[in-house]
Amino acid sequence: MKDFFKKLPEQAVRVAVVFLVFVAVVFVIRQFIIPPEMKEPALQQASSMEREVAKEIQYAGAQICEQCHEKEPQIKKIGYHRDLSCESCHGAAQKHVENPTEVKPTSPKKRDYCAYCHKYNSSRPTGFPQINPDTHNPRKPCITCHNPHNPKPPTTPRSCAACHAQIERAKAASYHALIACSVCHTAPEKHKTSPRTVIPTKPDKREFCGKCHDKGSPRKGAPTVDMAAHGEKYVCWQCHYPHTLGGI
Amino acid sequence: MEAAQNFMELSKQVVGFIYPNEIDIQWSILIVVYPYITGLVAGAFILASLVKVFNVKELQPTYRLAMLTALAFMLIAPLPLQLHLGRPERSYEMFMTPNLTSAMAMFGFVYLWYLMLVLLLEIYFEYRRDMIVWSSESTGPKKWALKLLSLFSTDISEKAVAFDKKTVKIITIIGIPSAFLLHGYVGFIFGSIKANPWWSSVMMPVVFLFSAIVSGIAMVMLLYMIIIPLRDGKIDMKCLDRVASFLFYAVIVDFSIEVLDFIHRLYESEESIKILSQLVETKLFMSLVVLQILLGMLLPLGIMVVIKVFRLQEEVRKLLYFVCGLLIQLGIFSTRWNVVIGGQLFSKSFRGLTTYKMELMGIEGFLVALALLIIPFVILSILIKLLPPWKKGELAGS
Repeated sequence: MKDFFKKLPEQAVRVAVVFLVFVAVVFVIRQFIIPPEMKEPALQQASSMEREVAKEIQYAGAQICEQCHEKEPQIKKIGYHRDLSCESCHGAAQKHVENPTEVKPTSPKKRDYCAYCHKYNSSRPTGFPQINPDTHNPRKPCITCHNPHNPKPPTTPRSCAACHAQIERAKAASYHALIACSVCHTAPEKHKTSPRTVIPTKPDKREFCGKCHDKGSPRKGAPTVDMAAHGEKYVCWQCHYPHTLGGI
Repeated sequence: MEAAQNFMELSKQVVGFIYPNEIDIQWSILIVVYPYITGLVAGAFILASLVKVFNVKELQPTYRLAMLTALAFMLIAPLPLQLHLGRPERSYEMFMTPNLTSAMAMFGFVYLWYLMLVLLLEIYFEYRRDMIVWSSESTGPKKWALKLLSLFSTDISEKAVAFDKKTVKIITIIGIPSAFLLHGYVGFIFGSIKANPWWSSVMMPVVFLFSAIVSGIAMVMLLYMIIIPLRDGKIDMKCLDRVASFLFYAVIVDFSIEVLDFIHRLYESEESIKILSQLVETKLFMSLVVLQILLGMLLPLGIMVVIKVFRLQEEVRKLLYFVCGLLIQLGIFSTRWNVVIGGQLFSKSFRGLTTYKMELMGIEGFLVALALLIIPFVILSILIKLLPPWKKGELAGS
């Protein structure tokens, strides 16, 4: 063995020494400077558990509310909001659980809170109830019509929406959201049984739209044009699709 | 506030549908610079290995320059990543607490292996004898710097020098797969992201590797043509012609592989093909079709064919080689740009495209990227001062 080292040229020994020093430095840093939690996954997990457990508890959890509040959870269980936990709307309630009389959880009463989920957004799933907050009963708090513990889907022209769901959803987000289907279309009773042979009416006169959109119309709020000069050859819906957002 | 403004500005440039977290892209110009720099390292090393392993004698004048170029760029290679991630002082922890299942974390070890065990060792053994001689001839700090670099070695006997030569050869043989590993790894990082159809391809490491070889050879050729006249030397035309013909072959291989990848994607025609063609036709048209393919590949290939077919004069050849070298650098930089930025411009919904707006002053901005591309040349000039790649006789052309 000694002979082997003697045979090695001196530069190789020097390089080897540098290499060993490097390895020794790495060893020392790893052994003495890096904390053990960073080297051992089990220890790391334990220490992060400790860290998390030490944090203050904010949320009380989904089950505990039922112990005191009997009515609302029962209603919620059968409604569309059954999968939402109470604290999704009422906020973190651990403090309320600890001290029910003094600390009260909040309840969102403003329109913009419901809009987090129900404002029209094309990426939401088909069939998810969506509205345009600007046209859907503006300024009225949602809870005046909808019970948040059991929100029912809109019940008005359900008979049309049964087949024309897509139109209904588009209309719900449009400026015509509050106008019932029957205002513009008259559907004979037979349309329900023979939808392709018996067809509902469409407004076939320009004056029909003009009732709201003509310059001289007494209705306030709708955009108006001079019907005599605006696209006189055509029926309005040949250019304007009345069901979509904006209606253009 | 500024971020919100930036976001609003970008959202106006979005085409089609895109998820909100895709509007602002995360990997910026710094991540473009990083594979470009590592590519130069790997390419320069491959050129150097041609001399030692494959005994291409004509390339001898570029051997040491190629090694120093590789080292200069290698020292800067991790910097763009560290600037991008932040907290560079913590980067050593990657070595202390290795994560064996993370390809990105393993880069540290690939880098360390290549820098310490290949480049530094090879340069040490290659220069050791000269460093001892030079340190005995010089004075002041340079003497001590050289002594330190030679690890205070003193043995310049024939036996010791023969040992150096043998070691250099062994290290180069180990170095070739290491250089492939280094840059293949960078391609692997992109190629293994299966959610991104622009990146996810087994061809990626190979494409990266050959574009690296192309850029490295072109860079050493450019540097050789710039530095030799600056040092009052004579360019060795035999060497230059040989470097250029290796460059020519490398460009052909690189081009064929990229075309193969392209045709394969078109023929496979997966669901992503529509958005990718839209990407190529609109957002990447300039950088991919014009800069990368036409100016960075076909034009240099054409020029090199002309040089090979017609026997042009020396001066004209030099000029054309120089233009080729510059165009290839431009092309390879665009390649990196198209991979890194291009891969983030389309939505994972395959329905929309966003835009990359480069900062000018920020830490991920244009000026930092420019500085990162200039620093290696500064390092190289210091290295060349300290460890001259050519002896006086070689410079004069003898």
